[in-house]
Amino acid sequence: MNLKFVLPVLLAGLLAGCGSVLSPGHARRDFLVTGAAPDHLFVINPRTQKVVSDFTIPGAHDYVSVIVPSPSGKVAYVLVNRTRSIAGINLRTGKEVFRANLEQPGERVTCMYAFDVTPNGKELIVYVYRTRLEIDQYRVQAPRFLIFSTTAGLHAKPLREFPAPRRVQMILAKHDGRSFFAIGFNLYEYDLRTGRLIERRGILNWHRPHHLRPDMLAFWPVTEPTGIFSSPIYSTLVGPGTPPGGVPETSLLTLNLHDGHLAYHDIGRTNALIFSTVIGPDRRWAYGAYTQLTKIKMDGTHWRVADRVTLPHTYYSVNISPNGKEVYVGGTMCDVIIYDARTMREKGDVQLPGCADQATATLRVIERR
Amino acid sequence: MHWRVSSLISCGVAAVAALLGTVDAAHAAMMPPAPARAGLTAVQAHCSACHRETAPGHFDRISEERKTPEGWAMTIFRMQNVHGVRLTQKQLRTIIRYLSDVQGLAPSEIRAGRFALERRPNHPILKLPYNLPVMCGRCHSLARVALTRQPASEWRKLINFHVGQFPFLEYQDGSRDIRWWKIASTQLPAELAKLFPLHSAAWRQWRNRPRADLAGEWIVHGDTPGRGDYYGTALIKRKSWDRYGARYVLHYANGAAFDGSSDAIVYTGFQWRGTGTLGGKSVHEVYFASANGARIGGRWFLDGHAEIGGDWDAARIAGAAKVMAVIPGALKAGTRQRVIVVGRGLRGGVDLGPGTTARIVARRPYGLILSVRVNAHAAPGYRTVRVGGVWKSDLLAVYRRVERLEVQPAFAIARLGGGTLAPVDAQFQAIGYTNVVGAHGKVSAVRLGAMPVTWSVEPFNAEAAKREDVRFAGTLNQDGLFLPAEGGPDPKRRFSADNTGDLYVVATRKTGKTAVVGKAHLIVTVQRWIHPPIY
Repeated sequence: MNLKFVLPVLLAGLLAGCGSVLSPGHARRDFLVTGAAPDHLFVINPRTQKVVSDFTIPGAHDYVSVIVPSPSGKVAYVLVNRTRSIAGINLRTGKEVFRANLEQPGERVTCMYAFDVTPNGKELIVYVYRTRLEIDQYRVQAPRFLIFSTTAGLHAKPLREFPAPRRVQMILAKHDGRSFFAIGFNLYEYDLRTGRLIERRGILNWHRPHHLRPDMLAFWPVTEPTGIFSSPIYSTLVGPGTPPGGVPETSLLTLNLHDGHLAYHDIGRTNALIFSTVIGPDRRWAYGAYTQLTKIKMDGTHWRVADRVTLPHTYYSVNISPNGKEVYVGGTMCDVIIYDARTMREKGDVQLPGCADQATATLRVIERR
Repeated sequence: MHWRVSSLISCGVAAVAALLGTVDAAHAAMMPPAPARAGLTAVQAHCSACHRETAPGHFDRISEERKTPEGWAMTIFRMQNVHGVRLTQKQLRTIIRYLSDVQGLAPSEIRAGRFALERRPNHPILKLPYNLPVMCGRCHSLARVALTRQPASEWRKLINFHVGQFPFLEYQDGSRDIRWWKIASTQLPAELAKLFPLHSAAWRQWRNRPRADLAGEWIVHGDTPGRGDYYGTALIKRKSWDRYGARYVLHYANGAAFDGSSDAIVYTGFQWRGTGTLGGKSVHEVYFASANGARIGGRWFLDGHAEIGGDWDAARIAGAAKVMAVIPGALKAGTRQRVIVVGRGLRGGVDLGPGTTARIVARRPYGLILSVRVNAHAAPGYRTVRVGGVWKSDLLAVYRRVERLEVQPAFAIARLGGGTLAPVDAQFQAIGYTNVVGAHGKVSAVRLGAMPVTWSVEPFNAEAAKREDVRFAGTLNQDGLFLPAEGGPDPKRRFSADNTGDLYVVATRKTGKTAVVGKAHLIVTVQRWIHPPIY
């Protein structure tokens, strides 16, 4: 054997081997986070398919819902206490490091599932409904955006408050750190510092040819790993080639949090995709959950259902590994299933201790550094 | 004094009745309006800490609303559960009685929503104008709305309460695509107040009207879907000013006993709410007395299964002669059978019309027991029933064959049970019809009433067949009663789906080689988690 040829091959192999061992950039450090009644916050290692942490959220009052991880992946902000509190839980220690009890004396304040953390991890943007509780009557107040400092501790009070429109269902912080989006009747964009309405467009007023006014209700603010939020949005297709009354059509709404680009793509008849979707890291595939796991090919402007597998039961929440190789379904009941994203074959089913009910808890993917 | 006044009024009513040519109300003694002191004291003691008494007997909010006893009970239930009001059962009853009497609804104001109080299953929601079906009817039968009277200011407060208590209502299907709050907080209160105002002439007149004493002997008839018609007598005794005790001696058409008893409170002078037993089962009674106290009608239903029950129609045993019901209501040509003519003052001979021969077997307080032979060639059609000088023409039919079956209800909802939640069953009956050719060759259908049939279920469509809904959703027994399966994920089903189903309920009646079939649509759906007295 000619050593002149062997050495580079050995070196290359060695380097490659060393790289895979030594380079933190190549080792998978992603974990799943989900919540469950009455007060659980779980961390799951998808490689071992084991629950590695089962934290107790203080004062959850049998209610664990939307989960928003900090950009660092160190803290999960969780909507608890029947939408009246947000708890920040350290994902290594389980310690509560942040708490905003939204209620005020004489005022019922509920977060309508809509909150997010800013890209620098320093602030929480929370959308609330408010009702004054007077001696013998309730008085509905205008909704507000509340801005909290994430370092405010366990008795957090808002740093700033802004007026907000009614019926907002989702808050998503824009990645430039200067504004945030609110999804409701329309897509609204607000200045994070001043609360000024920058722009209002789309959603119910989407003005798409041959599409009637759509319907959308998403409570799963999943934006990892691409920084693109996606959600099914439902409409009726009318016009040439459709029967009287039209046909129900599912589209995918995407909102790019880097540049604010809002788009809709039809994916097919409304029949097997209801709750949430996620965009894969290569931005060529999307995945959606309900009673079936749906794989959508994002092929230019022509998006279509490429594959569909039956799930053991309804799953509300879907997510994907940072490398795009595994798809996860969770929420609803007490398991999280791991699928091979390419083959759509099941790789594992992680049962939560005590068969804790996830209900509307968001299934999130964090990357530990 | 109390008795003297009522007997004087009773005489007056009898005199007026005689002038009008009816003596129906002769035995309906009249009593003065409700004594109010205990109720007023209870409201002052338990409600006025939050609802200020701004004038004697006038409380903020409370005095701005009028409702049924069920409506007040639900409000107080909320005050207990959400706002920490503590009441004994006796105090609770005292307050409900008082508020139902001084701020209740007149009979005419109850008419539209009465079906909800009677807990009639599968009743369509009310048709109300404006956008109330979307604004309120997404969650309510609209009877809840139609059984409340208040000014726009109070409707507005009620809407504010709704959003404060149930903020997600703006996000639900049917409201999230409209500006729900804008509509609810601007135009809706005035629209509601226009339809259902606090002040009305009907209530002004009813409130101060002397109320009927319902004590006495009564003739009762009714029907229990699945079991058929019943008849008999009731003896009602007055226990106190608005409390009654009743004993029922009733029979099904085949003579089987269906006896019972009840304790009742009569609210607002006409709303009978009883609890007791019928045929050995615990029941609730929601009945309404006529203004003159001569009739009591409504529906009774099983404790814990309001969907199972029966109609109730009672008339005083004393009064002008009258045929009230014929049981059974249809006779097959060429048969001989026992027939009950329910009615009062039924003296003299009996005639059931052409092709029939009726013999009186016995006279009873509730009417006549007959033995009836129907000629094999008797023409199909309605028969006029004559007893002595009274007659009724739409209570009895003769038929040769059942030509059509109509399954009722045509559309029903059953709900899965499980855990601590009882299922909501669905009771069906097959109503038979025969055709009659009239004078000008015109064919008309004659209703024959509930028929014995063979019951079965089928998938409603291909999707239901694929899901095997027939196998999973529950069972239909041969009394036409659908018993839903247990709720919750079923690992035996695809997607571990709930045992919901989309079914046809099929009634089949075979005569020789021919079969008549009727179908109804049944949706078996998820549990109902709340059970308010008015939806």
